[in-house]
Amino acid sequence: MILKRNVSLATALRYKGQGPYLTYILHRIGGLGMAIFVAVHILASFLGGEIGGFLNDVYKNWAFQIFIFFCALFHAINGLRITILDLWPKLLDHSREAIWLEWAVFLPLFGIAVFVILSTALGG
Amino acid sequence: MQVTLKVFRYNPEADKSFRYEIYTLEAEETDRILDLLEKVKGYNDGTLSFRRSCAHGVCGSDAMRINGRNMLACKALVRDVGDKITVEPLLGLKVVKDLIVDMEPFFDNYKKILPYFINDSPLPADGKERLQSPEERARFDETTKCILCAACTTSCPSFWASDQYYGPAALVTAHRFIFDSRDEAASERMHIIAETDGLARCHTAYNCTLACPREIPITKAIGELKMATITGKVE
Ligand code: SF4
Ligand code: FES
Repeated sequence: MILKRNVSLATALRYKGQGPYLTYILHRIGGLGMAIFVAVHILASFLGGEIGGFLNDVYKNWAFQIFIFFCALFHAINGLRITILDLWPKLLDHSREAIWLEWAVFLPLFGIAVFVILSTALGG
Repeated sequence: MQVTLKVFRYNPEADKSFRYEIYTLEAEETDRILDLLEKVKGYNDGTLSFRRSCAHGVCGSDAMRINGRNMLACKALVRDVGDKITVEPLLGLKVVKDLIVDMEPFFDNYKKILPYFINDSPLPADGKERLQSPEERARFDETTKCILCAACTTSCPSFWASDQYYGPAALVTAHRFIFDSRDEAASERMHIIAETDGLARCHTAYNCTLACPREIPITKAIGELKMATITGKVE
């Protein structure tokens, strides 16, 4: 007997890959989040009625909006970083700085968006 | 100082699944994790199995997960990893026993990229060496340093998903030959690594570069290969 090679999601997430691996994981969550958003959107229009109404409520919910905005913004900015590094591999010498820059761009933009979503949702 | 060493154990002849065993040991902070494993094997349990050979970071036998990250046990010091140490086998390869994994898929992938010098042209007039300028040699210097420890490939999420992916180590070796001005099989290798299970599966997770005990800029080498296959130019 020999132990199988399966690497479970939990094991994969526990690998201590540091900053770049975190962006890799968040990039995938972002992609999945957007796919869920589009699916919910299409389903809501397609089904209509009570279920459609419920799905509409889900994606109008401020927490869901913050999650989706996180997904879209992170996916876009991280994708841009990866594209730039792919096109100019020499820049990979500064991979660490590229990730700092990515967070420096992402966090204020995300912060403003959260503020706007929350003040709209809670302020009425 | 006292350290707690938690070791992944699996005996194919007796166990249905793996388990962890915990050993409390006296250690110096300059001890290597390999020293601790040797101590356990020598004094606690002679059945503990792991690979090692040179014990000096040269042969690449003892890559394993130490506190959740791939490292060479002979290069990782207690002071670098702390006094609570967990040692597990590499991910994405079958476990044969304890910390020993089946390296066959790793070497199968390595062989795919033709990991040897190819030049069928006649030798230079003096019948001696095929010369190369210092700049030409420097172009692939980093990727000559690979010791085939598999720390990179087994830290890669794409390899965890499919062991058909050639993996970073094979691509590092492809880089070593493709950018060698004396080698004549660059286009053949570029064709091979452009296959679905080659470069396309690298999603820049960067785990490989951080895991490499030889500090080879692996992701950069793969990036250079990506550009070379896109532009068709080896520069
Ligand atoms: S590239 Fe580095 S981590 Fe990968 S096999 Fe070679 S030495 Fe090991
Ligand atoms: S035993 Fe040779 S590299 Fe560690």
